[in-house]
Amino acid sequence: MSRRYLLKKVIGALLTLSGVVVFNFFLFRIIDRDPLAKYRGRSKLTLEQRETMIRRMGLEGSKWDQFVVYVKSVFRLDFGRSFDSTQPVLGEITARLPATLFLVGVSTLLTICIGLYIGTKAGWRRGSRFDRTSTSAAMVLYSTPEFFFGMLLLAFVAGRTGWFPTGGLRSVGANYGFVGNLLDRIHHLVLPVLTLTLGYLGSYALIMRTSMIETLGEDYLVTARAKGLRDSEVMSRHAVPNALLPSVSLIAISCGFVIGGAITTETVFSYPGLGLATANAIRNNDLPMLQALFLFASAAVILFNLVADFVYALLDPRVRRAE
Amino acid sequence: MRESGSTTVRAMTWARRRRAFSRVWRELRHDRPGFIGLLLLSGFGLFALSAPLIADRSSLLAASGRNNPDLAAPSSKFLLGTDEIGRDVLAQLVWGSRVSLFIGLLATVVAVVIGSLVGLAAGYAKGKISAVLLAIDDFFLVVPFLPLAIVLAVILGRSPTTLAIVIGFTSWAGSARLIRAQVLTLSERAYVERARALGAGSWHVIVRHVLPGVAPLIIANATLIVPTAILTESTLSFLGFGDRLSPSWGKLLDGAQSSGSITINAWWYFLPPGLCIIGIVLAFTLLGRALERIFDPRLKGR
Amino acid sequence: MTTPVLQVSDLHVTYHAHSGAVPAVRGVDIEISRGETLGLAGESGCGKSTLAMALLRLVPPTTQITGSILLAGKDILTMKPGELRAVRWVQASVVFQGAQHVLNPVRSIGRQIDEATETHGRTRAGGVAELLELVGLGARRANDYPHELSGGQKQRALIAMALACDPMLIIADEPTTALDVMIQAQILQLLDEIKRERGLSMLFITHDLSVLSQIADRVAIMYAGRVIEVGAGKDLLRDSKHPYSKALAASFPIIGENTSRRHPQGLAGDPPSPIDLPSGCPFHPRCAVAVDQCRSIDIELRSVGNATNRRVACVHFGVRDG
Repeated sequence: MSRRYLLKKVIGALLTLSGVVVFNFFLFRIIDRDPLAKYRGRSKLTLEQRETMIRRMGLEGSKWDQFVVYVKSVFRLDFGRSFDSTQPVLGEITARLPATLFLVGVSTLLTICIGLYIGTKAGWRRGSRFDRTSTSAAMVLYSTPEFFFGMLLLAFVAGRTGWFPTGGLRSVGANYGFVGNLLDRIHHLVLPVLTLTLGYLGSYALIMRTSMIETLGEDYLVTARAKGLRDSEVMSRHAVPNALLPSVSLIAISCGFVIGGAITTETVFSYPGLGLATANAIRNNDLPMLQALFLFASAAVILFNLVADFVYALLDPRVRRAE
Repeated sequence: MRESGSTTVRAMTWARRRRAFSRVWRELRHDRPGFIGLLLLSGFGLFALSAPLIADRSSLLAASGRNNPDLAAPSSKFLLGTDEIGRDVLAQLVWGSRVSLFIGLLATVVAVVIGSLVGLAAGYAKGKISAVLLAIDDFFLVVPFLPLAIVLAVILGRSPTTLAIVIGFTSWAGSARLIRAQVLTLSERAYVERARALGAGSWHVIVRHVLPGVAPLIIANATLIVPTAILTESTLSFLGFGDRLSPSWGKLLDGAQSSGSITINAWWYFLPPGLCIIGIVLAFTLLGRALERIFDPRLKGR
Repeated sequence: MTTPVLQVSDLHVTYHAHSGAVPAVRGVDIEISRGETLGLAGESGCGKSTLAMALLRLVPPTTQITGSILLAGKDILTMKPGELRAVRWVQASVVFQGAQHVLNPVRSIGRQIDEATETHGRTRAGGVAELLELVGLGARRANDYPHELSGGQKQRALIAMALACDPMLIIADEPTTALDVMIQAQILQLLDEIKRERGLSMLFITHDLSVLSQIADRVAIMYAGRVIEVGAGKDLLRDSKHPYSKALAASFPIIGENTSRRHPQGLAGDPPSPIDLPSGCPFHPRCAVAVDQCRSIDIELRSVGNATNRRVACVHFGVRDG
């Protein structure tokens, strides 16, 4: 892969990330004139405690002084203490990160695989019964807020059948041994993963279908057919690799939505990850927590976009081999 | 003489607009998904307008449910049952349609105005201004908009109007990019170049020549922003923003979730608002995609 | 006499678009014998490319094709999909116009050529390298992607690809269009050499009559979906009979002939749209020598008395029956 392309993309991502860091300061220190006003226990604070808190939150001195303190603390990954639990924010986040990574990772993988498959098939056989059915279904999926799926699954699957737990990460107080605990976790993950997958399946399928249809008119498909290739080979070797290219960029952009989906999905299933932490922080006006969560979410999306740029380069020789 | 000249020009412009409108209308009638979207949308519009006929506004007040049973199943008195404090769900649903539509539409106006201004400027201006605007646009495309909206709403306040502005502020980046691309193609067209060569000022060229060219695109794009704005609104409301006493559909779902209506399967509480959200989002999406197809013939057959 | 390599009889190709049926090819008969090159010329939109694509049934699936296309005696139009795939590229291959997106941008040249031999189980001893050398591209080019080749190189790669399965017929669809004159001449020479060395038959399609004098044994001129004149190559180009062929020939200089100069006056008007053909002879609205009869009667191809093998579809030429 051309080194310049790589370097350009990495530098771009770092610039965006520093942009987010600055923007974050702007949001929490300039738009919000008095962050401490959101602290619920503030009326009970003594003057001393109040001053300690102001110092700890880096609210002393001019805005520039505050900015320097803030940037330093970001580099130390020190985001202060949660208003709610009074524990360090970083610890709160790292403790919940694996659960969310697992949930989002599994469902993103599923969504991409199923969505791209359906979109490919629908676009290739445009106007067929499969296309009409799947596109209508995709439109409805796209129009449904993912947490409503969660509520439906809870009410009509978990509630009615009792096959799945209604929430949490694992059965509380139970120990089934290593394999048993693993299965127990997976058991708890089924409905949240299903919710998040259904929530974004529609848009991925629609994106891929559009790309496929745009590819259908390309001359190289006629060339491939002329060579005597089967229809399925023309599709998989020639149409799909090209149709994937615009999809990769669009999917990268839409991953910002998935993060939003994780917040509501975890809320519905009381799944103790970063999403649920976000929902709690909203309800508790927990500014330090929200600030850090916003940074983490942005960093995750920037990273995902960077990965997408690499995938794009791997798929497209015009980018990969450009000098 | 001059005046009569400009009148004829105006009349011609209006005649052209009328023709364009009737062409769009004719094509829309033959575009099945688009027409379904339009019908669905008119249905929701009527629903929202008829709110005072269906239920009195006072039935949204917490006090109104005091004498009613909590989470009661649908009956002849409460067609869609009651919520956890005994309020009529149907009343909240029909008044909620106004809240959801209001936030969705206001957010779209905000997003389209910012997006158009940035897009027009970035497309029309050259050099540094354009580069800076593009960088800002890129930034807003990458930054995850829901977390951003959450942060802004926490800081700025939780009222429906604030929510609408926050949503609009976080969702203009896509349209700015789209409009910029369109402006770039248009500025190369002969009539724009001619206008510029004749010494027309930037503002004149933009308003008279470029804006009419991008207007169809802006309309189609706006129709597609409304559904995402409504979805974002319901997500934010579900997460605790918004007004419990004048609930949007998303806020109703929040109430249904936190009141435990799901565990006791009080479907009349969570099913109707959820289905309404799906319906309105679907309606705008179908219509918006149809308008895109009509305005941009390259998209035919999608 | 041996069976011709290609024998097309009464071929009609009709597209079905939103606006209705589009008759792009309307009753064409052509024949190519072994080792022969037939040049097929006409303005864009006359149906020549549709004809070329129809030969291997490469037109969109909703297109209606009637008549018969005998490739080595077997009718392409009655073949089952499997049989058709087996015939494609093995008996007849296509040299597409390289200026268009006919090469897949994300697959290497080598793999795209290999794919043809692989599909038909015809692995070549020399592999892709030999083919690339043959067309004057280095063997190393196999690893390159289409965007890394120039227009002329792409055209060479397409020729290599067309030779991959040793077909007996090559359909060359505007292979020199959009190349500059020098490269054009090189490509023509390459095609001519290959064809002679291997005894290939060729259908050479172009809108540019001047290239045909170099390569074609016989020439057919198409107008509005029909062949309106056919005859021996140089003979036809030098002395066209049909008013349309005349006008077409006049607008191109014939390479290597001083007497032929670019004619100052081109052809007036545009070719007719296939969905709205004029009555009678479709050329009559543009024809300088049209008579009343041309408005009502569309003359079939018929032999011209004094010229050998020359057939013309014009009221002014040929034997008048009854």
